[in-house]
This record gives sequence, structure tokens and C-alpha cells, in this order.
Amino acid sequence: MSPILSVKDATKRYSTPEGGTITALDGVSLDVQPNEFVTLLGPSGCGKTTLLRTISGFEDLEGGSIEIDGATVTHLPAHRRPVNTVFQRYALFPHLSIARNVAYSLEVAGLKRAEIGSRVGEMLELVGLDGFGDRKINQLSGGQQQRVALARSLVARPKILLLDEPLSALDKNLRQKMQQELKTLQEEVGIAFVFVTHDQEEALTMSDRVAVLSDGKIQQFGTPEDLYRRPRNEFVARFLGAGNLLGATVSECKDAGAIALLESGQVAHLPSTDAACGEKIKLLIRPEDVRMDCTKDAGALRFEGTVRQVLFVGTDYIVHIETDDGTELKATLRPRAEDRGAITAPGARITLFVQQEALHPVTSAKVA
Amino acid sequence: MVGRDTSQGRKMLSLLGLLAPPTVFLGVFFITPLAIMVIYSFLEPGLYGGVVWNFYDLNYGRILGWADTRYEKFDPVYLTIFLRSVRLALTTVLLSLVICYPAAFWISRMPQGRKNFFLFLITLPFFVSLVVRLFAWVLILRPTGFLNQALMEIGMIAEPLNLIFTDTAVVIGMTYVFIPFMFLPLYASIEKLDMSLVEASADLGATRLQTFRRIILPVTLPGIVGGSIIVFIPSLGNFIVPSVLGGAKVMMIGNLIEQQFLSARNWPFGSALGMMVMAAVLLLLMIYVRMMTREEEYSTAAKVKES
Repeated sequence: MSPILSVKDATKRYSTPEGGTITALDGVSLDVQPNEFVTLLGPSGCGKTTLLRTISGFEDLEGGSIEIDGATVTHLPAHRRPVNTVFQRYALFPHLSIARNVAYSLEVAGLKRAEIGSRVGEMLELVGLDGFGDRKINQLSGGQQQRVALARSLVARPKILLLDEPLSALDKNLRQKMQQELKTLQEEVGIAFVFVTHDQEEALTMSDRVAVLSDGKIQQFGTPEDLYRRPRNEFVARFLGAGNLLGATVSECKDAGAIALLESGQVAHLPSTDAACGEKIKLLIRPEDVRMDCTKDAGALRFEGTVRQVLFVGTDYIVHIETDDGTELKATLRPRAEDRGAITAPGARITLFVQQEALHPVTSAKVA
Repeated sequence: MVGRDTSQGRKMLSLLGLLAPPTVFLGVFFITPLAIMVIYSFLEPGLYGGVVWNFYDLNYGRILGWADTRYEKFDPVYLTIFLRSVRLALTTVLLSLVICYPAAFWISRMPQGRKNFFLFLITLPFFVSLVVRLFAWVLILRPTGFLNQALMEIGMIAEPLNLIFTDTAVVIGMTYVFIPFMFLPLYASIEKLDMSLVEASADLGATRLQTFRRIILPVTLPGIVGGSIIVFIPSLGNFIVPSVLGGAKVMMIGNLIEQQFLSARNWPFGSALGMMVMAAVLLLLMIYVRMMTREEEYSTAAKVKES
């Protein structure tokens, strides 16, 4: 399948008022398949919004190219690109009714009145706002405005829908509801969505693939599970989810894996690593992979230490322990009823285990 | 309950105290003269000035079409002057709008420091007396003035244009005087314009022209209407600009009123003319208020829904 969107080597710099320059995009390449839900994720200032704005045509690239459905659009003005955008604050036209907002792209394209009417009706029904057409924008709640924005940008049947943090203005419950609705909507209309967010949970929940950006570069581009379980570097590991990163040195490289020596002196067998022998790396251990019971795996890492802090979050306990060699470890534990007493008191002694399979080596170097 | 009552009473009292002085002031110095004008406009003019206390509708008749048949035929000269004043005022509104709209756009997109500097420049003319500034325009517009000299120097014209003491001169002068009044309300609504609306419009396929016509113009309409009214009202009744730059050739309704009160000493007729100006302005304001209340209804409806 040929990609619907193909960004090659995109580069963009801004000059600051002080006379310096900021590199917002530094050779970014990205392919998006038709029907794919892709999220651009990163901290603010990482270049994700700039990337979106170069695809929509609001920013001009300095280098590189953008192709949409096989056609080069790199220097095409925004109004001639077959993409539409849902803006962060929706940018709905305040002087127009909801129906006229949705109809806008069809009206400027000069479609016949009857066709505009039927397509706007269909769209409003799709987003669950049929019967709201005559209302004014300021008569709607945030969630409803969100849906109008979606309807408005989908009615022209774009090849790609771009979404610039559209859920950030909503409260938490509504946001979760809209996440599901967005995903359903995307499957229904069957076009590619490119979604920008700084919320990692949102990215993991909705996307087929996620591109993690930092310093104007894509650090990793893969499925949510890939990113979470097998982050390529320390930045991705830290940005997605909570985790323990323990310092280690690769001591032995074999065909079937490697052996790493932890700073605490423990030995870990790794399935494979890109790191060279003798290189300093970090071992990622997700808190939910830390266990209380002894595993059958003979090579499991064993941590003995003292409970420092316990947070009860409903089903689980988030436990911070300090091992006897001074390593700090965060664990999400769900102890059996009879074991609960052992962890709930700070200061208690505890022994925790981590299986070999749960260890993932990451390098500290970012993609440069 | 009691505590709230007294605190509310105190609030009422302080409100009354704050509102009383301006109310009394306006009552004495605005309503009273206005009432005198209204009454005078229905009285017969005395032979040597002053008024005769008889009901007399021919002050309005002289303007609108029924004259005192014993002495004269109806002469539409006053209606012509009135309509010319409306035309000159409308031209002034249009010209200042065309000048201010792009300027307001340009200034509103500047960095803060430069913006403030330009806003200061806009108000700078207020620092010099209006009459002095208008006489400066006489020096610019007269046949041997700066403008004609310059145009002849660069060879655009062979002989001086006849500018001074024409409608054009009056419109130029009034536009010059009222530009700050047009600029400020325009600027207020243009600065509020959310640029993401413009981007959204382009994103949805609109060309620059379509975006301007369908989005920018309607969204900034309150500023356009507000500025137009604020310029139209003083332009319509203006008499300083036409008397300095229009000389004896261009008479506006303001000059006519001045003449009736000061030289002709026909106060009732002058009052009737004044009432005409006020009626025109009130009509305009009523249309404006109607438009604004409709806007208001939408926003209150929204607020009710939120709560």
C-alpha cells in the first residue's frame, strides 16, 4: 500500500527576536498509510505542531518535501491542499450558525445549495448534532463545539484529517469520551488522522502508530505497544509511562543476547541489544513488571530493600522502595490479601523480583 | 436577612450618590436646552429676533415642503443643504474607513512596543488646536499651496487644481479631523480578531478574498459600524471644517444653523434645522441599537444555557 502522506527530510527554522534561530524540524521523515491513526507526541517545543502546520500548509518548509496521495504539495498554499484541520481552540466562525460553519468549505467551493444541505445534514448526524444546525456557536458546550469542528473539517472529504491538540480544552471525563468517539469516527470515515498531543495516555489509547518527537527529530515511530515495551532510547522510555531506569554496563555480547552488569553488581541476561560491549546503558523496568512473589525463573533479579512510600490508588499500591545498595525502585503491586500488611507500612522490609523478560535495555543517546 | 437588607440599602445609597451629580448636570445642561430647542422649533420667529408664542409649523414647512403661501413659494434649498451634508458626511465616513481599516490591521499585528507607539501617533493631532490644523490645510490646498506646487513640480498637472473651497476640500478636512475616531473602534475589533479563524478559513479551501468577505469583514463589523456612527454624527453637524475649508461656497447644515442663530436671529428656524440633524442621527442610532441587541440575545442565550 502506498502511503497517503509522505514527509521527507522536512526542515524548518525560526529566528527568535533575540537574533538566534530555533530548529523546529530537523530532517523529519514520516509515512502515513491510508486509514491510519497516527499521533505526533512530544513535549511542548518539540516540533510536533510545526510538523502539522507544514502538512496543512500554514508553514513553509525550508528543506524537504511533502507528498499527499502521491502528489507533491510542498509549496501549495493551504486552501489548495486536500487536508483539513481541527484546531486546538476549534476556531469556529462566531458569526455563522452551526450548519453554516459546517457548510463553509462546500460554500467556498461553490457547490449547489441542495447538495450542501444534504451533506451538512449527513455530517451533523454523523457527529450526533442533527437538529442543532440553526444554533449559534456560543450556544454550545465545549464537547459540542468539538463535534462541530470535526464535522466542519470532514464535510469536504479530505484525504487526511489533521488534529492539533483538539481535546486539551475539555475536562477529563469528556476527554476520555471524545477519545473513543474520535477513534470510532476515524474507523467510520476511513481516512488517515494525524493527531498532535502532549498527552502520552491519549496517544497510546487512540493511535495505530505514534511518532515521539523531541528537538525537532522523530525519536521513535511505532505502535503504542512497541513504544511502551521497546523504547529505543531513554527519552522515549521516560516520556511514555512510568519506569525504573537502572544503570548497567554491557559486559558480554553473544549472538543470542548479551549480559549486562548492573551498578548494584547483579547480572542480567538480555535477549538482545544494539549496544556495543562495554557501553553504558540503562535497563528499563516498568513498575507493573515488579513482582512480590518469587518466580520460577532462576535468573530473575532480586531486590531487597525498605519501603519508603506507599500510595494506594484503588486496585493497586504504588510502592517506592530503596534497595540495600541505594537504588530506588518504583513498583505497582497488587498483593494478595495476606501480604498487604507487609508493604503498606513505610519502613517495612521487602523483597521484590523482576523477570529477565521484563528487562529492556535503552541507550541514553537521543536520535541526532 | 436583615443584614443583607441594610447592606443592599447602603449599596443603593452609594449608587445614588454616584449617579446623582451626572444626572443633575445632564438634566440642567443638556435636557433643558434641548427642551427649549424643541419648543422653539414650533414657535413663530419675532420680526427682530426672539420668538412669538404662537404655534407655528412653518419652520419645518420651510425645510420639508409646505411654505407660508402668503409670502413665498417652497424653496428646496434647505433640503438640498441637508442632503448635501448627509452626502459629505457619508463620503467622510467611507474615506476614513478605507484609510483606517488597513492601518488598523497593520498596527494590530505589530509587536507590543511598536503598537503603542503608533497608537500614540494616532492621538497626536489632539495636542494641537483644531482651528490651527485646519488653517494648515488651507495652506496645503490653496492654488499656490503646497499640494499644487508639488504636483506642478513633478509635472502631473500644468496649472493649479481648484481644491480649496470645494466639497473635496471639506471632505478631506473632515476625514483628517475624524480619522482617530474611526480608527480606535476599528482597531478594538480588529485586534480581537482571532487569526486562527483566518487560518481555518484558508484550511477549508477559501481564497484570501473569500476569507476577507466571509470571515474578516463580518467578524469586525461591530467596529466598522461603531466607527462609522462616531464619525457620521459629528460630520453631519460640523460647521468648523466647512467654514474654514469650504468658505462661502460649501454650506453644510451646521453652517446654516449657526447662521440662523447668530446672523439671521431666526431661532425657531435654527431650532427646526437642529431637530432635523438630531432626527437623522437618532434614526441611525436606533438601527445600530437594534443590531447590537440581536447580538446580545445570542450571547445571553448562551450564558443561560451554560448555567
